[in-house]
Amino acid sequence: MKVEWRTVLGASLFLGATALVYGAYKNHPVEASGVTMLAFGFFAYGLLFGYLLLVYLRRDRIPRPEDRFDATSADGEGEVGYFPNASIWPAAMGLGMIIGVVGFIYGLWFTIIGGVLFFGAVFGWMTEAEAATEVPLTEDEEDTATAAGHPGHIDAHPEHID
Amino acid sequence: MRAVETHLLGKTNFGSPGGVTTQDHYVRQLWHITYVFAVPIGLIVLGGIVWCMIRYRVRPGHDRTPSQFQYHIPIEATYTIVPLVIVAIVFGYMYNAENHVDAIAKNPAVAITVEGFQWGWRFTYPNGHEEVGTVANELDINSNDNLPVLFMPAGETVQLHLVSDDVIHTFYVPEFLFQRDLIPGINNVVDFNVIKPGLYSGQCNNICGVYHAYMRFLVQVMPVAEYNAWYAQQPAGSITTAGVPAQS
Amino acid sequence: MTLIQDRPEEHLVHEPVLMEIVPGPRPRGLVKYITSTDHKQIGLNYLVTSFIGFLFAGLLAEGIRTQLIVPNNHFVTESVYNQLFTMHGTIMLFVFLGPFAFAGLGNYLIPLMIGAPDMAFPRFNNLSYWLYLGGFLVMSCGFLTNNGAANFGWFGYAPLTEAIHSPGPGADMWIIGVALTGFSGIFTAVNIITTIFTLRAPGMVMFRMPVFVWNQLVTMFLLLLAFPVLTAAFALLWIDRHLDGHFYDPTHGGQPILWQNLFWFFGHPEVYILALPYFGIVTEVLATMSKKPVFGYKGMIGATLSIGALSMGVWAHHMYTTGAVLLPFFAALSLLIAVPTGIKFFNWIGTMWRGTITLNTAFLFCCGFLVMFLFGGITGIILAQPVLDFQLHNTYFIVAHFHYVMFGGSAFAGLGGIYYWYPKMTGRMMDERLGKLSFLVLLIGFNLCFFPQHDLGLRGMPRRIETYNAGMGWNFLNMISSIGAYIAGIGVLLTVINLFYSYRRGQIAGDNPWDGQTLEWACSSPPPDHNFEALPPIRSERPVWDANHPDQLTKVGH
Repeated sequence: MKVEWRTVLGASLFLGATALVYGAYKNHPVEASGVTMLAFGFFAYGLLFGYLLLVYLRRDRIPRPEDRFDATSADGEGEVGYFPNASIWPAAMGLGMIIGVVGFIYGLWFTIIGGVLFFGAVFGWMTEAEAATEVPLTEDEEDTATAAGHPGHIDAHPEHID
Repeated sequence: MRAVETHLLGKTNFGSPGGVTTQDHYVRQLWHITYVFAVPIGLIVLGGIVWCMIRYRVRPGHDRTPSQFQYHIPIEATYTIVPLVIVAIVFGYMYNAENHVDAIAKNPAVAITVEGFQWGWRFTYPNGHEEVGTVANELDINSNDNLPVLFMPAGETVQLHLVSDDVIHTFYVPEFLFQRDLIPGINNVVDFNVIKPGLYSGQCNNICGVYHAYMRFLVQVMPVAEYNAWYAQQPAGSITTAGVPAQS
Repeated sequence: MTLIQDRPEEHLVHEPVLMEIVPGPRPRGLVKYITSTDHKQIGLNYLVTSFIGFLFAGLLAEGIRTQLIVPNNHFVTESVYNQLFTMHGTIMLFVFLGPFAFAGLGNYLIPLMIGAPDMAFPRFNNLSYWLYLGGFLVMSCGFLTNNGAANFGWFGYAPLTEAIHSPGPGADMWIIGVALTGFSGIFTAVNIITTIFTLRAPGMVMFRMPVFVWNQLVTMFLLLLAFPVLTAAFALLWIDRHLDGHFYDPTHGGQPILWQNLFWFFGHPEVYILALPYFGIVTEVLATMSKKPVFGYKGMIGATLSIGALSMGVWAHHMYTTGAVLLPFFAALSLLIAVPTGIKFFNWIGTMWRGTITLNTAFLFCCGFLVMFLFGGITGIILAQPVLDFQLHNTYFIVAHFHYVMFGGSAFAGLGGIYYWYPKMTGRMMDERLGKLSFLVLLIGFNLCFFPQHDLGLRGMPRRIETYNAGMGWNFLNMISSIGAYIAGIGVLLTVINLFYSYRRGQIAGDNPWDGQTLEWACSSPPPDHNFEALPPIRSERPVWDANHPDQLTKVGH
């Protein structure tokens, strides 16, 4: 995690410093927007840096397998992540959003249709995600589930999971 | 440095029209500084690329495994530091030139208000005389007869106040090697000291709507005596519309 | 589905990792196109859509050049001409150049290059594609409205974009369309950053990622900062146009310069969003074709990071002529960008130096990139200086400069990338003879088209004029330029023909046709679902090369 948060911290500090230098000049008054945007960048990247640092500290600075120079594939055992199958909901949601914003030009009817489609898709997406992430309760169940070809969550090395 | 500049580049315009104002000196100097650095570096890089392509290309029956080197710190440091120095030098010259080019005189000989609008120009002189021309007077792009004309004295500092009421336009005369935007809400001021009298063509240089391409004008730079004579003939508050016979 | 890595029996270095994959339903055809959450399918969707955008915007460009071929021409009306160049710019930037690299190639290649099974948020990924396609369609549909598409240039300077100066839905559709592609870009950025930060294979530390992935990462960070600013600017513009706001309206105390500041604060990082991924492509292609590691790998990444950082502080160099910006500050930062860019150039030469170079189409396109981007970079140094920019701003010199950077640079590298990764994506090689012919025709056409424009700019021809006076000395150069544009069009068409021809007839590629170095060449062509059945051990930034050439590892030190 070290390289990650340091990179983001660097970007944040650069923007902060630029904002200070830029703001220190005797500017044309309209350039206040520039200082604002640079400061915005400083805070935006700062947020991200803060989150990454928090994760890093919460993990007691133990490097993940992808942070270790000597890690082998064996170190990556355990859950990699949840990768959903093909799904119609993103397309439906996208269509809802597009129709919704086109409604800003051509009348609210579009926006209402788009909104219905959008929230329908949100609902479908949520229920789909819930159905897919049901976790077997006990280890026995887990083993049977894995053996039967149904995925479950194996948590062999909890410290390797963010 | 200076010798190189004058001997190799002194007479080159790089395709652009020769500048006719006092700013020309600084602009030309910057062109030269930039070329003095950019051309050799560009040639070195280009040479490197072409050399690699020709010298190291795979030829039949020539099976060589290249050395797998990756770092060479001294070389890398060199091509980091040298460009930094060059950039600093260029910036120094630029800073100096910029202060001269952008300078505004306290007491200009003439102050003219240049107003751009969709789509035409209005040049207002100190006594209230206006020279106006719109696209409606000159829809034939190949004719220059009915364009608004900005009259300026040569050899004097002429201050232009650039204003606009609708959208952003740009006052641009290629021979002045200079342009400045006419932005509603911001009144830009520029100074020109034209050395060479003549008739120059200018044009709006910022997309300003449908007839942007037709928003042209002429600049008539005259010797001071001639300008004064012209100016004396213009009644205060009169309006001359290009392409329309003058009414007194 | 959830992916689980099996625990290997013994901890051997070369132990292959098996991934247990429980296949769900595998849709095909149109259903696959619409519903797939596979990063490779979505990547291909982006690539194909953006290439269609390229061809469409290219067609608009031929229209522009046809109008300008002789003075006082009446091929199109003034209004249509303005629509042509506006939509040419908008589509090229927001639909082709950006998404082609960061969304298309990024989606397809980043998980493969870092050994991940998919993107971090696969369904989100699919959603961002639909927003992108929606944006493309909405902005293009402006042509079908009564007043036509947007006609105020791709950076739509207020107050020309205000409702009284640009009425009609065309401008609104432009705003909505660009905003949609912007949202799509933000989503992609979130997705790719998360993927790179959390889904790397064990041993793939940050400083073993290919330069392409690093460049994409920096691009995504730029995107994450730039697009929200653009969206905010659009929101204000929308309020101005429809809700009686006066943010940019000078007659009621608004500030037109505010739009320029906001837009270019997005716009300059955007320029590097359009360039950095292509630098990555070139780096990968040059290293592979020279059979050498990337020279100065860490310096290269440092250069990328500093270009990214500097690009966020130089926005106002597009506004020198407004007279309302801090000239020395922006000039200094703009000139400084030349330094890391120079480092990249020397590193590219170092990568080729004493290699064994295969002069195939992909490599030639990347060399075309090097030469043309070099030229665009030098004219960029000229334009970074306010005094020279006062002379050249908004003339054809600028047009030539950014086409050398964007077309001769980025688009050439993009075409090189197509030739390079096509075997991975389809399992077939592209035709080399047709490819080289395409490169040659495109190179000649491109230079014929854009080199004369430098001179046109120096002679004072403004950009975006619909026609010009015959007596200005611009006739011959414009004629040459237009002829070049047609030749370049033929060059692009040859590659399009090649794409279709090779899809059916191309030589079977195999997994690793170029003796590639990075992880994407470790899986089959095209890669299976969830990518890898086994990963080679990752001990440097080119694991596949290390596995194939154990006796030719990268030399440490110098």
